[in-house]
Amino acid sequence: MEKLLLFVLMAVVWMTAQAQQIDEELAMKALFQGKHAVNRAAHAAAQQLDERRLAYGEVHIDSGEAAAAIRQYLMANLQLDGTLTPMASSLFRERVEIVLLEVINEDRSFPYTYSNSAYNYEVTLERPGVILIVRLHYPRAFNVLRPIEWYVKGTAELVY
Amino acid sequence: MKQWTRGSVVRSILVFVLFAGMLCWMMFSPIYKHVLIVRHAAIQQEVDYLLEVGANGDHGYIDAAMVAQSRQRLAVLGLRQDALRYEVSATDGSIATNAAVPLVRGTGLALTISYPYDGLFAIDRLIGLASPPEDARMRAFGLKMSEYVP
Repeated sequence: MEKLLLFVLMAVVWMTAQAQQIDEELAMKALFQGKHAVNRAAHAAAQQLDERRLAYGEVHIDSGEAAAAIRQYLMANLQLDGTLTPMASSLFRERVEIVLLEVINEDRSFPYTYSNSAYNYEVTLERPGVILIVRLHYPRAFNVLRPIEWYVKGTAELVY
Repeated sequence: MKQWTRGSVVRSILVFVLFAGMLCWMMFSPIYKHVLIVRHAAIQQEVDYLLEVGANGDHGYIDAAMVAQSRQRLAVLGLRQDALRYEVSATDGSIATNAAVPLVRGTGLALTISYPYDGLFAIDRLIGLASPPEDARMRAFGLKMSEYVP
């Protein structure tokens, strides 16, 4: 009987360790998916040139269209609906929040170093670009890990 | 010396069968799950790579040659080439697989790679969990804006 008890106890320890490992692996994958989504959203936003001002030789990113592009690319890459709430097929469960969106335009002098102490982020841009920080919650598959929340940061410059 | 009665033998056999099934599941199921995670990570990495290359200023498309090379890279990792399925599309509905007509800047290039689960959930039937249907597939996807300027 005591062997049976030992078997059950060992089984619990083993399953807990496995659950934690699987959850950590999935968390890494989720973070990478989030980072790629943020990178692609920032990249798409940085290509939103104001064409009328480009005609006058000004390389100006339209911040309204940049914000729209960010939403579109976050929605596609993270499978979110119009309110940035994850759809059933998404890896995530809680609403994704855009906490910072900064368009760096041609009126700054380049190379321009952007720094933000609130999010501990610093980046140097050689051209006009977009800085994006998004908050993501990781939905734990098992409750072995403590809750995980990321501020995923990304920057993209205009490509030309 | 323990006295074996019919009841105790039947109980022992029942306990043995139940625990043998559970033990098999506990030992092997996590490994199957790791295989699943790694396979999905491999196709996701391939999606990221193809989008990175396909959306850059020199391409603006993902054509059949690029897909064939990608299939070979995944075959090296042990995936079956013919079971991989690639879906390339563009946000404006135009054809994204033609190297002669690349997507111009502003158009999104979308790619989905899918691969069957290949019975990786079959072991869960040992403890009575239903596995997904035969034709269910794992999917990795991404959307990136093309940088191509004619």
